[in-house]
Amino acid sequence: MKSSLDVSLVFPLLVAGRLLLALTSLSDALKHNHQLSSPLTSYLNLQEGIYLFQNGIDPYSGGVFRHSPLFLSLFTTVLPRSRVISSIIWTLSDALGAWALVQIWRTRQRVAQTSRDGLIAAAYLLNPYIFLSTLALSTSTFENTFALLALMFAAKGAASPALLAAAFLLQISLSSVLLLAPLLLLIASSPISQLASPRPFAGNGKKIISLLIEFLVFTVVLTLASALVSGGWSWVPQTWGASLTLPDLTPNVGLWWYFFTEMFDHFRPFFLMVFSVHLLIYVAPVCIKFQYDPLFAAFILLGILGTFKSYPTMADPGLFLSVISVFPELYPYLRYPIVTTLLHLHAALLMPLFHHLWLNQGTANANFFYASTLVFACANGAALTDCIWAGLRIAIGEPQEGFVVVQE
Amino acid sequence: MHKSRFLWALCLPAACLSQSFSGETFDEELAIRALPDGKVASRFEFSTLLHGASPRNPRNLSSEDDSQHYTLFPLALGQVLRRYAVTELHLTLNAGKWNYDRWGYPDEPDVATGASMWTWMAEGSPIPRHSVDARWRDLRNALAGLFCASLASLDEQRTTSPVLAFVPQGALPAWPQTEPHALRHASLPSEHVCTENLTPFLKLLPCKSRAGLARLLNPHRLLDADWHGMGLHVSWLPEEGVRVRLTFQSVTDPLRAGNTRDWSLSSLFDRKIETACPVAASSRVVVTLPTDESYSIRPEPSFVGQGRGIFDLASQPLPLDVGLHWPTAFQYTTLPTAQSPLSVRRTLHGSSQDHSTLAVSIKNAGPAVVRVAYLETLPWIVHLYLHTLELSVDGVSRADVLHDLSYTAPIPHGRAAALEAVLDLPPNSTVSLRLGVGRAFLQYGEHPPDAQRGWELPGAVVVVLPEHPGNDSQRRIYTSALLVDPATPDFSMPYNVIIFSCSLVAFIFGSVFNGLTRRFVVIAAGPRAE
Repeated sequence: MKSSLDVSLVFPLLVAGRLLLALTSLSDALKHNHQLSSPLTSYLNLQEGIYLFQNGIDPYSGGVFRHSPLFLSLFTTVLPRSRVISSIIWTLSDALGAWALVQIWRTRQRVAQTSRDGLIAAAYLLNPYIFLSTLALSTSTFENTFALLALMFAAKGAASPALLAAAFLLQISLSSVLLLAPLLLLIASSPISQLASPRPFAGNGKKIISLLIEFLVFTVVLTLASALVSGGWSWVPQTWGASLTLPDLTPNVGLWWYFFTEMFDHFRPFFLMVFSVHLLIYVAPVCIKFQYDPLFAAFILLGILGTFKSYPTMADPGLFLSVISVFPELYPYLRYPIVTTLLHLHAALLMPLFHHLWLNQGTANANFFYASTLVFACANGAALTDCIWAGLRIAIGEPQEGFVVVQE
Repeated sequence: MHKSRFLWALCLPAACLSQSFSGETFDEELAIRALPDGKVASRFEFSTLLHGASPRNPRNLSSEDDSQHYTLFPLALGQVLRRYAVTELHLTLNAGKWNYDRWGYPDEPDVATGASMWTWMAEGSPIPRHSVDARWRDLRNALAGLFCASLASLDEQRTTSPVLAFVPQGALPAWPQTEPHALRHASLPSEHVCTENLTPFLKLLPCKSRAGLARLLNPHRLLDADWHGMGLHVSWLPEEGVRVRLTFQSVTDPLRAGNTRDWSLSSLFDRKIETACPVAASSRVVVTLPTDESYSIRPEPSFVGQGRGIFDLASQPLPLDVGLHWPTAFQYTTLPTAQSPLSVRRTLHGSSQDHSTLAVSIKNAGPAVVRVAYLETLPWIVHLYLHTLELSVDGVSRADVLHDLSYTAPIPHGRAAALEAVLDLPPNSTVSLRLGVGRAFLQYGEHPPDAQRGWELPGAVVVVLPEHPGNDSQRRIYTSALLVDPATPDFSMPYNVIIFSCSLVAFIFGSVFNGLTRRFVVIAAGPRAE
């Protein structure tokens, strides 16, 4: 049994399987799917932007292309644009992400190899939320890979690569700025599980300022590079601005789109502010509470992003769910994993169904799909709160006979 | 002495009248021709020329304008033109689709379905309200009031500035220190044209509908026609002055009432010309006569030439009721290809409400290569995926027919998209163009009141480009409007959605902070009292 989960065997097998899947015509069927790619990550929009860019039209002058200029420069120079090669690149990016996740696990366990490595790679490569998004060629695949690479380098203590990966992540997804704080803490301390023994932050606090400065330098350099590529600053409101002002109300699995479709005009700016600030509110409390284990804090913030970010795809909550595999110490303390699983199952089945009934079949209306996204948010919220509970509960351990653990 | 003074006083108004006419000329013409499918196309043209006048320079908008005294020129329109310094203006309100395949080209080329408007204006002084866009907005609002039409809906979300399709019909003055003229074009296919638009149209005529040819503009008959449309065209002719043309075109079907295609003014308009308009410099009815069939026309035209019979109201006995009679029965004939070599078809494919395919096929039946500009102006609720553009000739993929392409991308809630493609249409073949189309999801309040009906997309315009540049005879083909139905949210429950979403956010937020802020304690669970 253990040998079957040997990573040197499982990993190539999984990647080969994923590559085979990528070469089928599935991605043409999935590229219009709103659950797997948002307007900010859609492959169609990316292709359109590249086409406009190559034909001398500013892709940011309109409202279709909302990808980072870094994608433009990559796909117009280095990477070829054929669909099949794109599928392979996307799959390899997933493989890189899975490898990073395995590395995070090994670093956290302080061992070179474990019997769970193959399982963790499988948890990422076989997660349907993630691999369907990759098949749909959504660029959220790259967001996930960069997030995992940043966490991996941070866990290994390689500060500059971690910050560079985080800076790239910020370029392609503004809301990922939430991960910066736990990332800096992680670089300054260690990735080893401290959930069972809470204590004040033990790392080198002074280092954080210099790390932050380094991150800012990377970000400024990349931002200037983006401005250079796109020939101006018009990309800022189109990419970063879009995740704050929500100009495109295409349905997705998140909570924002229908809320702001139905929102009264004079309250729109207020609620846009509330929803954006709401994301930031979590950073400080989560980082303070889990200061002894910043990797866990980053994991919780991944869950917050997957639930509450403005243009989520399935891959965002999918990343959170796959990263759970790195924290097996949580499992005994989860209160309602079955309920969470069933909620996810319920939402994952109903969302595509209701989306199809609403937009293609015409027999349902928008409320059907909205209701299923609410269930999906409930599922993500349940997983999130359960993980927070379990992460805090570990410290108490199993109570003795005649005692119960309660919250004060 | 007293007597002569009295006589002088009598002559005074007449003298004034003739003098004030010297600067203005009013001509009217009604052209009637039978179409190959038995229908009758008629066109009224009321043209007022303001001699020696020139458009206002927008640089001088801050200073006092010259006073305006018109006798024949419509004052309400003149004030609007001067106020917003409009050099050239074309406004058309049409109902129905002009069938190019059966009827050939119309006499007036602007036959876009619904309301359509285009102007040429120069950039004004740096004051924001004198900019082209501000004046274009104010002009729309002013004309909306003047014509009782929803022209105010032709807002920035429908305004485009295509380069090739709309060349000025008159001249554009080259003022020193003024930027070149800019085009603004917008169309609203869902505008319904009705009596309330015709009445203000008639009010702009010097004789209203009481005398002259305008007497025939009988709303009951005109709005019952198979196709009808009115137009306002203002242009500047440097040699002559500012010309305002008010046109009304209609296509009536005599075969609808009986088996004969015979027509007369009383059968077409249910009226005769009772009196001539006394201020009209010329007033005539021009009938295109059949070439290869026997016919009889009564009364006898004042002048016959070039296949046309011309009735001059000054020399004809009134009331005038022109009629054309064919002794032979009607034989349906198709239009000779020489008259309409191009045939355009435009459809939207796809069952999904979020994306579809726009398919356009342009058939060139003529023997020569025709260079055309294809103009697509779309409101931002649909956007084109240009990278999916496929061009084929008779089913064979060919990219070389595309000569040039310019594209203005749409901005959500802001700007319309404009695609202008210059195509070389090979002879005796059909060029098809396919494009992926994405549809936007609109905010709750952005949907029209009848949201389920969908939005009408303006028709595309195919412009036959002249072979030699500078030749200003430009032929335009308007395609019919398309209907898209964007996905609709539930309009009845904004409060519910706000409450549900906020509750869920608050619940998760509360649960997270509950976990983060409350301490875990171990307490002894004492034996339960039984």
